[in-house]
Amino acid sequence: MGEFEALRARLGDGAPDALSQLSDAELRHFAATLDDARHRQARAIAEAGDRALHHIPRLLRGPIRRIVG
Amino acid sequence: MSRAAEQVQTRAEILKLARLLGREADELSYLEVLTPADVRRLRDGVTESLYDAHDGSLRKLAAASRLLPSSLIATIAERAFGPLLSARVAGLLDLDRAVEVSGRLAPAFLAEVAGELDPRRASELIASIPPRLIGQITRELALRDDYVTMGRFVGHLSDGAIIAALSALDDAALLRVAFVLEDKQQLRTLVATLPRARVRGIIAAAAAEELWVEALDLLHHLAPAQRRDMIKATLALDDAALEAIVQTVLDHALWPEVLLIAEHDGALQDRLAERLASLPVRRRRAALRDARDAGVLGRLGAIEPALTGA
Repeated sequence: MGEFEALRARLGDGAPDALSQLSDAELRHFAATLDDARHRQARAIAEAGDRALHHIPRLLRGPIRRIVG
Repeated sequence: MSRAAEQVQTRAEILKLARLLGREADELSYLEVLTPADVRRLRDGVTESLYDAHDGSLRKLAAASRLLPSSLIATIAERAFGPLLSARVAGLLDLDRAVEVSGRLAPAFLAEVAGELDPRRASELIASIPPRLIGQITRELALRDDYVTMGRFVGHLSDGAIIAALSALDDAALLRVAFVLEDKQQLRTLVATLPRARVRGIIAAAAAEELWVEALDLLHHLAPAQRRDMIKATLALDDAALEAIVQTVLDHALWPEVLLIAEHDGALQDRLAERLASLPVRRRRAALRDARDAGVLGRLGAIEPALTGA
């Protein structure tokens, strides 16, 4: 699968045909940038969950943990 | 829209996409070969991908918040979640709750959340935020020169909030927001809500801050009567300002926008023609070529002989 097809497989219609004008290196850079953003978001969610618990009264931490998992 | 204006719009779209990806716009400069519509479509795709990636976790966080009072949710948002995560969760909270929480957050924090938020996913919430708070957030965004975020939100604001937001912006900021507005169809309605004096103010701001690309783009999207008002305001400007308009037209080949002026006002047409006629022959020939490429020759009235030297 080429770089453009790989990006289209991830973004569907969100990857316009015009992207095929870009070089493979540029498309790879864009895909890596997207991966990086997703990883940062995952880290932010995990870290924020831990930080948030410090602000929550002890009594509620158990029920909250059960919901968040 | 002229090609030059389209290129500037593409850069504005790249800026929005770069922000979504947590990067500098320069890092994505290779996207400048795309049209604004294509970059926007790409941004929509990336937005979907980022929101969907952790949808389950975000929904659980939103569900857990139901056990907490809104004052505590506000504290957690500011101290633990930060703007990015707060933006991702905002649209998933119960509406009444979300409005209550937003009222407890500092406008400066809400401005940062706005920068990270996909307004389509929190449209109901945005429309429910009281106009006074929208005005405060707008002022914060203006302090950060964050016109791109304001441009993304306008279509989701209530009428009262739009009035509050417009009142919070000076004329130059208003012009900058108009230029990056997500849906340019809204410009007619927005300008219609402005007092007439502000139309004159917008033109004066364009002259003072050299925002003629933005002003000519605005002109392009207005209704005929609104265009006439803007052109009339332009006529009141001094020669130096007219010189700046001619310069902008030449630098950016904004001939479709000149055509709008030619169609609406003979007096401004004459004044622009006078300025163009005084240009060196080489510059006039280049301008003539650009006007021909833009397909406006034959419709420029008095401006045309000034270009051809006839």
